[in-house]
Amino acid sequence: MLDIKNLYAGVDDKEILKGINLFIKPGETHAVMGRNGSGKSTLSNLITGKDGYNLSKGEILYKNESIIDWAPEKRALEGIFMSFQYPVVMPGVNNTYFLKAALNAKLKNEGKKELDAAGFLKLVKKKLNDLDMDTSYLQRAVNEGFSGGEKKRNEILQMLTLEPELSIMDETDSGLDIDALKTIASGINRYRNPDRSFLVITHYQRLLKYIEPDFVHVLIDGRIVKSGGKELALELEKKGYQWLES
Amino acid sequence: MIPTFFQPEFSKIIDREYFSKKIHPIRENAFKNFLKHGFPNRHWEDWKYTNLSKIKKGKFRLSEIKDAPKKDIDVSEFGLQNFHTIVIYNGHLQENISTIPEGIKILSNLEYLENNNWMVEQPVKSSFDLLNTAFMDSGISLVVDENKEIKEPLRILFISSGKENIMVHPRIHLDVKKSSSLTVLEQHVGESNDYLYNGSWIINIEKNANLNHFRIQNNSKETINIGNIHIRQNTSSNYIFNQFALGGSLSRINIYSDLIGNGANCSLNGLNLSNGSQHMDSYMVTKHHEAHCSSSQNFKFILKDHSSGVFSGRSIVNEKAQKTDSNQSNRNLLLSNNAIMNSNPQLEIFADDVKCSHGSSTGALEPEAIFYMQSRGIDKESAKSLLVQGFASEIINEFKENDMHEHITFHFDKWINI
Repeated sequence: MLDIKNLYAGVDDKEILKGINLFIKPGETHAVMGRNGSGKSTLSNLITGKDGYNLSKGEILYKNESIIDWAPEKRALEGIFMSFQYPVVMPGVNNTYFLKAALNAKLKNEGKKELDAAGFLKLVKKKLNDLDMDTSYLQRAVNEGFSGGEKKRNEILQMLTLEPELSIMDETDSGLDIDALKTIASGINRYRNPDRSFLVITHYQRLLKYIEPDFVHVLIDGRIVKSGGKELALELEKKGYQWLES
Repeated sequence: MIPTFFQPEFSKIIDREYFSKKIHPIRENAFKNFLKHGFPNRHWEDWKYTNLSKIKKGKFRLSEIKDAPKKDIDVSEFGLQNFHTIVIYNGHLQENISTIPEGIKILSNLEYLENNNWMVEQPVKSSFDLLNTAFMDSGISLVVDENKEIKEPLRILFISSGKENIMVHPRIHLDVKKSSSLTVLEQHVGESNDYLYNGSWIINIEKNANLNHFRIQNNSKETINIGNIHIRQNTSSNYIFNQFALGGSLSRINIYSDLIGNGANCSLNGLNLSNGSQHMDSYMVTKHHEAHCSSSQNFKFILKDHSSGVFSGRSIVNEKAQKTDSNQSNRNLLLSNNAIMNSNPQLEIFADDVKCSHGSSTGALEPEAIFYMQSRGIDKESAKSLLVQGFASEIINEFKENDMHEHITFHFDKWINI
């Protein structure tokens, strides 16, 4: 699904990622853990195609194709999705309108028939139900006046609607209370299947209790210093990051 | 310096047989006053950012009988069906194709003055008011009697046409009597070159009355549009103004609202779209004279190319006006590095128990928001359009009556994609 090879990248002259290797197969869930400033956000931004980074060396392959030169929207249309740590507020942009535009862009790209308002509503109502969200969400402007939990639910709603194959969850648990976290995690878990892969980016082990990863990688100063199974997350919880720093 | 072309044009007005001589003293007084003060220049604080040289050099002449339409106009070409419409073509009222909703009385300005025993105060807030009084044409006065709820909206359609530096100075008096209500749309259209529209509306809203005033300004890109609106609001009256403006080379609205009764509410909103070298200026003064009134000013500008905009909003809260609730907001979106916006929201508060706020922001589209949309599969250009639409929607959604929403959305979408 995703194959990152010896990736070096940074902003301006500052090198942030210093030789990342990451291989994610279909159906696998990987967690990348690290402190603030370790390069977690840079990694997710490079996969989704955000401007402003210099990629000096290495490759990002998605389904065996290099995506480095792809525009962010192409990456999204081809099945890459990121749940933002800080979802952007878009005053006046209606949530339904936005989500329908995104879904129809995807359907069009796949050569499928675009949905009309009624068809879209039918589809999205079911997804709302899965996330304990009521239909009033759809009438609001995207993320405007949303609480932290509502914003994160809205991200997951977008994921369930757009049906990506590779989903990056960037600090999805931040700002969530335990009930909201459980709802969101169960939404994500129901979405998991052997064709869909996840990259979960997090500070803490907390989220990984609910979304169990197959592999855990520890990112320190732009390098993956240790990889292991889910038990590595527990070890980090107990011992912190210090024992891994040289 | 005062342009020389006004003097001979004023003599023509005085000589016109179809204008009542009874109004001459009012015209002469205003014209004398105009000659004394001249046009504002850029040293005047309220006119600092608006260059009037297009008017000063314009060599405008009055609209004549020959500028009236040669044949009946088909108003359907200007969009917006289902409105009773008063058509004013180059300053000439087109009675044969005009209709008004039941319950509204229409009078000539002379009849209106006579009905009010000649006690009608003439507006003197700016040189444009003085010019309007001196030259006023197509005068119509509309009166909604007490306790009348006019359900069907009324449109006043101003059509400008011609290539000969025509100027028109329409005067509209509008009285909404006690406990009545009316929705009026002021629409500006037409193909005209170097044209000057300088209209003044004098609006009285009595106790418990409501007036919903929409203004769609879609003049040609060579027309100058100066709109002067004076509102006096009595106890517990409501005035809601919404403008959608995208036409004109130089356009300015001057709104002066006086809240002279307790508990009145005045809400002024606008969306101004400019491109090319257009200049749009929205100037407004809301004066709270009495207690428990509320007011708001909410104007948004979207600017492209080399265009420029000015927002000057002032809220004045007099000593007696305790418990005033007033807010001002001016938010602007620059879609070009060469566009210029000047924003000047001001509060003058002389009472101590009031709730007043103001804010202003001017900026480009947020790159974060564009990326967010792209990351959902929406291409960059569509993302920008969606964000601009979102920015504008707050004002556009106020245009609800009849097919106004559809009409405005159509023009907005067309403008976005130029």
